[in-house]
Amino acid sequence: MLKIFQQIGRDLFQSGLNNSHSGNISVRFGDRIIITRRGSMLGHLQVGDLIETGLDKNDSNITLASTEIRVHRAIYKGTPALAIVHAHPPHAISLSLAEDEIIPVDSEGSYLLHKIPVIHAEHTIGSEELEQSLPEMLKEYKAVMVRGHGSFAVGQLPEEAYQWTSSLEHSSRIIMLTRALGYDPGAAKTGKNSRW
Amino acid sequence: MPFGWNGKLLRVNLDHKSTREENIDEEILKRWLGGRGLGVALLAREVPPSPHPPGRENKLIFSAGPVTGTIAPGSGRFSLTARSPLTGTISDCNAGGIWGIMLKRCGFDAVIIEGCCSKPSYLVLAEGTCSLMDAGDIWGMDIPSVCSALKKRHGEGSSIAAIGPAGENGVLLASVGTSDGRALGRGGLGSVMGGKNIKAVVLNGRRKINIADRQKYDYFLYEANKWIKANPITSQGLPEFGTPVLVNLFNEMGVLPTCNFQRSYFDTAYKISGEAIAERATVKKTGCPGCPVRCTRVTRGRSGQGHGPEYETVWSMGPQCGIDDLDTIIEANQLCNKLGMDTISTGVTIGCAMELAGEGCLEDAPRFGDRDGLLEMIKKMACREGVGNLLADGSRRLALSLGRPELAMQVKGLEIPAYDPRGLQGMGLAFATSNRGACHLRAYMVGIEVLGIPKRVDRFSTGGKAGLTIFNQNVNAAVDSLSFCRFISLAVSEEYYARLLSAVTGERFQTQDLHLAGERIWNLERIYNLRCGFTKADDCLPPRLTGEPVCEGPSKGHTVKLDEMLAEYYRFRGWDEKGVPTSRKTAQLGLEEFLC
Repeated sequence: MLKIFQQIGRDLFQSGLNNSHSGNISVRFGDRIIITRRGSMLGHLQVGDLIETGLDKNDSNITLASTEIRVHRAIYKGTPALAIVHAHPPHAISLSLAEDEIIPVDSEGSYLLHKIPVIHAEHTIGSEELEQSLPEMLKEYKAVMVRGHGSFAVGQLPEEAYQWTSSLEHSSRIIMLTRALGYDPGAAKTGKNSRW
Repeated sequence: MPFGWNGKLLRVNLDHKSTREENIDEEILKRWLGGRGLGVALLAREVPPSPHPPGRENKLIFSAGPVTGTIAPGSGRFSLTARSPLTGTISDCNAGGIWGIMLKRCGFDAVIIEGCCSKPSYLVLAEGTCSLMDAGDIWGMDIPSVCSALKKRHGEGSSIAAIGPAGENGVLLASVGTSDGRALGRGGLGSVMGGKNIKAVVLNGRRKINIADRQKYDYFLYEANKWIKANPITSQGLPEFGTPVLVNLFNEMGVLPTCNFQRSYFDTAYKISGEAIAERATVKKTGCPGCPVRCTRVTRGRSGQGHGPEYETVWSMGPQCGIDDLDTIIEANQLCNKLGMDTISTGVTIGCAMELAGEGCLEDAPRFGDRDGLLEMIKKMACREGVGNLLADGSRRLALSLGRPELAMQVKGLEIPAYDPRGLQGMGLAFATSNRGACHLRAYMVGIEVLGIPKRVDRFSTGGKAGLTIFNQNVNAAVDSLSFCRFISLAVSEEYYARLLSAVTGERFQTQDLHLAGERIWNLERIYNLRCGFTKADDCLPPRLTGEPVCEGPSKGHTVKLDEMLAEYYRFRGWDEKGVPTSRKTAQLGLEEFLC
């Protein structure tokens, strides 16, 4: 398990989806959650950086768990997700400040994601607001952006959740590059995915 | 109920020769969706659980899904639900083709057949009418013959589901076949139909299925078709080779069970592979209406043309019986389809008999590799003739009667299909926990352990397999209830189904709703089985799979580590340590009414 977390954590950091100490990863095993330690460096996860705690009940390990543990718990309780990746992808965050939804215009993003909703929260880190709203959105979407904060993606496996995160950032970058060239990506898209 | 569902079922009482149309409550349809879910919910309400499989009080429930009858790819399936005479569990099978579409076009979501005819009969349904006809002249016919005769009588456009001689003779492996070559194979539901003296159900429907939001439906259909065409499994592997494309793949992985699971590698698998069938035997490729996958093959054998064989049949009549002759396998498949017997259970039971014969426990049975013996035994089983009478009750009863129960490769009485779980740990857990007995389709762990859908996991590892098995069991229960084909799920995920369902019915369904519906269906099946007397002890595998390591090949040295996974599975399901759903879980799923 540590190896999988190390691989995903390293790739999230090296591809610029997280800064040195941001983001977190978790998996669900029945009524238990394994989540990265609060303040751990995802690019350099070590023995001791994975914290196991209860899905419903707290135990002493809760003191070491990621700040986002309550949000992860809420997602697991409210959806069938078995893995969650939370990241801070810069292009997607930038777009989330300007848009209410991110609609990929590139082919792969369009196939994989169709549309990523953006939600707003007064308190963006480990908040009750996100506990309420994120699971609801993740019942319908693979990944959701929290405005100005970051992405939450779910899957059966950490690799799957990582893929949605990576694709989201890639698509966001393409949208911004296209805009930088002076084109409006909206003109290139079919508009169909807004129905997703 | 103007969109998707018809909102009606037809109740046919054979004792009183009466029929009655009944409205189905909208909330029931939303909770149970259709197909398997609706069938299971109706059966659980109408057939009280009991320690012994019911006789005439058993009911047959045909049911279609809310999307059935539209042109969504893979959506034309239908389910048949009853208490299985083979396993004693609640059981359902589903099949594709046109029959399910016709059921919807007749104006019904389900047909419940109860009671028993005093003489051989068949049913004819059209929109607004239902007749019970005399089947004296077609009783005894094989399935293609009876379908041909009834099409002449009721129109070439009619669709027929019928039993063959095996169903008439009460063979516990008996299937129901359709006029377009599909089979409702598993669990012996053909013998339930035979026990009711019903030879066939003929449908003639023309009613159109209304779609609530055509624009969205077209968009989601377009999106789903994009993936089906892009995915090499659904756009190349299955269309080119059909399901036997798996023969070589699984053999190379060391998970192709051979000679009643004594080995997991078949030396001459290449002779019976998908490639070999495509080159030597395939006459035509075909598929279900509206489906671009076109995975069905028509093959030519020594005795003519027929549908199949599918991968599991190639295996059950081939490696399982030590046979590598393609013509024999094709002929065995055609025989089973004509006589109306489940090809998986038939082949596995004969393989079991072959091992028993080799051990000196059974006379008059063929040995591994005996091609003619295999074909003769199929005929004897269908007629319950000689030693075939013993085999007609399946491998569990056969091996038990001869004092060697450990040689029956079955779970809860249902024969294990073509995947050696010693090299696929998740599949082992899926077999052991399946509510209808050993079934590869309930969780279809092949996706995640072999094909990498959605991502590939270590097939020898037990870590996390409980959660993944449950996830897939729930999703697939919902997919079976929408009556979508499992192969479509190889290309598209459940979020497409939720959106298609919303567009068709006009009701809002989230992906999560399908998971919840699937979990509800799974738990209801479990509760029903527990009330029939099943216990944790039935969530097991044959000792060979947990105690005898694979002797050679890529899976060498492995056994199924079931104990490592089962306790986690129960906890994850919200069941107690005995495998009983907790009151919290049943309340969460709204299943209290089924507890007593």
